[in-house]
Amino acid sequence: MDLGNNEMFLSNDMLHEKQGHNSLIEDNIITSINNSRRGSLVTQDSEFELDDALLTGSDLDYDYEDELDDMIVLPITNAKRKQINEGGVPNLEYECLTTKDIFNRMLERVNHLQPIFSLPLEDIIILMQHYDWNEERLLEKWTDKMDDLLTEIGLIHENGNLTVNERGVALKEDFECGICCEVKSVEVFSLECGHEYCIECYRRYIQGRLHSGNIITCMGCSVALKNEDIDEIMGYESSNKLMYSSIKSFVSKHHRNYKWCPYTDCKCIIHLDDTSSLSEYSRLHYSPFVKCNALHRFCFSCGFEIHAPADCDITNAWIKKARKESENLNWVLSNTKECPKCSVNIEKDGGCNHMVCSSCKYEFCWICEGEWAPHGKSFYQCTLYKNEDGKYNKSSSQEANKLMKKYTFYYRMFNEHEVSAKLDWKLGQTVGIKVKSLQEKIGVSWIEGQFLAESLRTLNEGRTALKWSFAVAFYSDPSHNLTKIFVDNQALLSKAVEDLSELLQIKDPELIMRRKPDFYNKAGYVQNRTNALMECGRDLLCKGICKLTD
Amino acid sequence: MHNNPQETERLISDPVPGITAEPHDDNLRYFKVSIEGPEQSPYEKGIFQLELYLPDDYPMEAPKVRFLTKIYHPNIDRLGRICLDILKTNWSPALQIRTVLLSVQALLASPNPNDPLANDVAEDWIKNEEGAKNTAREWTLLYAKKE
Repeated sequence: MDLGNNEMFLSNDMLHEKQGHNSLIEDNIITSINNSRRGSLVTQDSEFELDDALLTGSDLDYDYEDELDDMIVLPITNAKRKQINEGGVPNLEYECLTTKDIFNRMLERVNHLQPIFSLPLEDIIILMQHYDWNEERLLEKWTDKMDDLLTEIGLIHENGNLTVNERGVALKEDFECGICCEVKSVEVFSLECGHEYCIECYRRYIQGRLHSGNIITCMGCSVALKNEDIDEIMGYESSNKLMYSSIKSFVSKHHRNYKWCPYTDCKCIIHLDDTSSLSEYSRLHYSPFVKCNALHRFCFSCGFEIHAPADCDITNAWIKKARKESENLNWVLSNTKECPKCSVNIEKDGGCNHMVCSSCKYEFCWICEGEWAPHGKSFYQCTLYKNEDGKYNKSSSQEANKLMKKYTFYYRMFNEHEVSAKLDWKLGQTVGIKVKSLQEKIGVSWIEGQFLAESLRTLNEGRTALKWSFAVAFYSDPSHNLTKIFVDNQALLSKAVEDLSELLQIKDPELIMRRKPDFYNKAGYVQNRTNALMECGRDLLCKGICKLTD
Repeated sequence: MHNNPQETERLISDPVPGITAEPHDDNLRYFKVSIEGPEQSPYEKGIFQLELYLPDDYPMEAPKVRFLTKIYHPNIDRLGRICLDILKTNWSPALQIRTVLLSVQALLASPNPNDPLANDVAEDWIKNEEGAKNTAREWTLLYAKKE
C-alpha cells in the first residue's frame, strides 16, 4: 500500500506518530535529550546504590550492560529504541482503525468489483461475504455460472422472475402464518418468492440471526433479505447490527492482518499490512506489541496483554498451566496471609509490599514474610527462589513435589504482582485527585503535576514486566549463569518498583512536591531496570536457556 | 411457544405413513417417535424408536432428534445422534416436525457415507457397501423389532 493511501486511514494519534517518523532529526534530538536526562539521573541513582547495595550486585549489573551492547543483533537507532524499550518490535508499522474504517475498506473492495457485476453494492457485499472475501473464488464462480451463483446466494428467485411478488409488509385479514399456525389479522412480510409469514415470527427469526454475521434469508427458501427489509421489519437502523456483524466477519476472515483490541468494550481494530516480518521477530523473541487509539496495549500475535520479557509461547504455556491449578488455592495464595508474628489473618489492600500488622505492629515483607528491615536497605532477596538441592533425594515423587513447589513459588510471585498491579490501578484513580489538590493547595500548574501520572505509568510498566518475568524464570535453566543474572535483575526491578509504589502512596501535597526529584529518580530507575530485565529475558529466550520442557 | 398445540394436533390427526409421533403426557415438548425403515433399504421391516424434543426457541431453533434404537448407519452414531443439515445449519422456522421426520426417514433410504458421523461405519460403507448393508440388515433384525 502506498503512503498516500495509507494516510487516508490514519487517525489523529497515528498521524502524530507518522509525523514523528517524517521529522527524524527532531525525533532524534528529543530522544537524545530524554536519554541524556535519564542517563544522568540513573547514574546518580546507581552511585547511590553502590553505597547501599552489595558491590557484587552492581558489578553484575555493569558487566551485563556491556555484554548487552555486543548481543544486540539489529542496529538500533534512537527512534527505534523507545519502541524496543516498550517491549515491542522495531519497525512494526501498523494502524488503528475503527469499525467505520473497516466498513469503508469493505466498500472499497466492493467498488472495484462493481463494474464487473453491475449489481447494487449491497448485493456485492452479500456475495463477497458468502465467498469469505475471496475475490478470486467469487470471480471464478461468476464467470462460470452466473445465474446459479445468484440463485444460490438468494439474490434471484429460483424462477428467475423477480417481479411475481412484491417485497414488503402488507396488512392481511385472517392470515394463517405457517410458523406460528395462528389465524389473525396481522402485518405480513414476504419477499419476491411469495412466502408470507406474520411480522412477529419474522422479528423473532431476525432477532436470533442479527449477530451471526451471515446472510439472513426468507424463512421458507433461500432468497436473501436486504438491509432495507430488515429495517422495515425490525425498525429504524436495525440493519446496523447486521452491518456490524458483517464487519466482524470481515475482520475474522482477515485475522492475519486485522485484530480486534481485546480490551472490554474497545472497538478498535489494529491493521498490520505486512505480516512477513512477524516470523523474523518471533525468531528473535520480540513480541509485536501494538497500541490502539484508546491507548490499550496488547500483543498482535497472541492477543494477550503486554507480556514482555516472556514471548508468546512462554506466555501461552504459563497461562495454560495456571488455569490447571485450583482456583481456591490461587485465591488463598493471593489474598490472605497470616502475620508471621501474631498469626492474625491479613488481607492486602495497598500496592506496596511493606506490611505493618495492624494488631502487633510487626513490619514485614508481604512476599517473603521476613522482617522488613533488611529489605529497606540492602539487597532485595525475595525474588530468589532457593534451590534446595541438597535436601532431596532424586526419587520421582519428590521430583514432582519439588517441581510443584517451584511452580507454586513462581505462580505466587506472578500473582502477587498481578494483585499489586490491580491495587496500583486503584492508586491511579487517586492520582488525578492528587494533581488537583496540588493545583488548589500549592498552586502547582497542571502540567507540572503530570510527573505523578508519568510515574504511575512507569510503575505499571515495571510491574507488568516483573510479573511476566516470573513466567520466564520458571522455564529457565536455574543453573545457568545468565539465569542468575536475570534473577538479580528481577530483584533490582522489584526493589525499584516497590520504592516507587511506596512513594506514590504519599497523600500530603506539600510532601509530594518536596519529593518531586525522588519521583523522577525512582521512575527513571524503574524504567531502566525494566528495559534491562526485558533485554535479559529476551537473551535467555534467544540462547535457549529459557524454553518449554513439555 | 404458541404453535405447539396446532402442530401436534395436525401431526396426530393427519399422520405421515410409516411415522408416528406422540407427545409425552407430562411434557408436551417431548415426543415419542417411531419410524418404519423405508422399503428396499437395509432398514426395511424395522421399527426405529426416536425421541424428539422441541427447545424453548422452537421454531426459531431446530428440534432435537435422537435415535433410541441401535442402528448401523454412517450418519447416525452410537449414541443415536443424527447428522442432518436441516437439524443444524440449514434449519428454517418454516420446517416442521413432520418435515424433520420425513427427512430422517429419507436419510435411512439414502445414507451419505461421504459426510459421516460414525466414522467406522462410513469407512465400512465406502470400502464394502454390500457387507455394510448386510450388517445394517442384521442390526435391524436384532434391534428394530416390532413390539
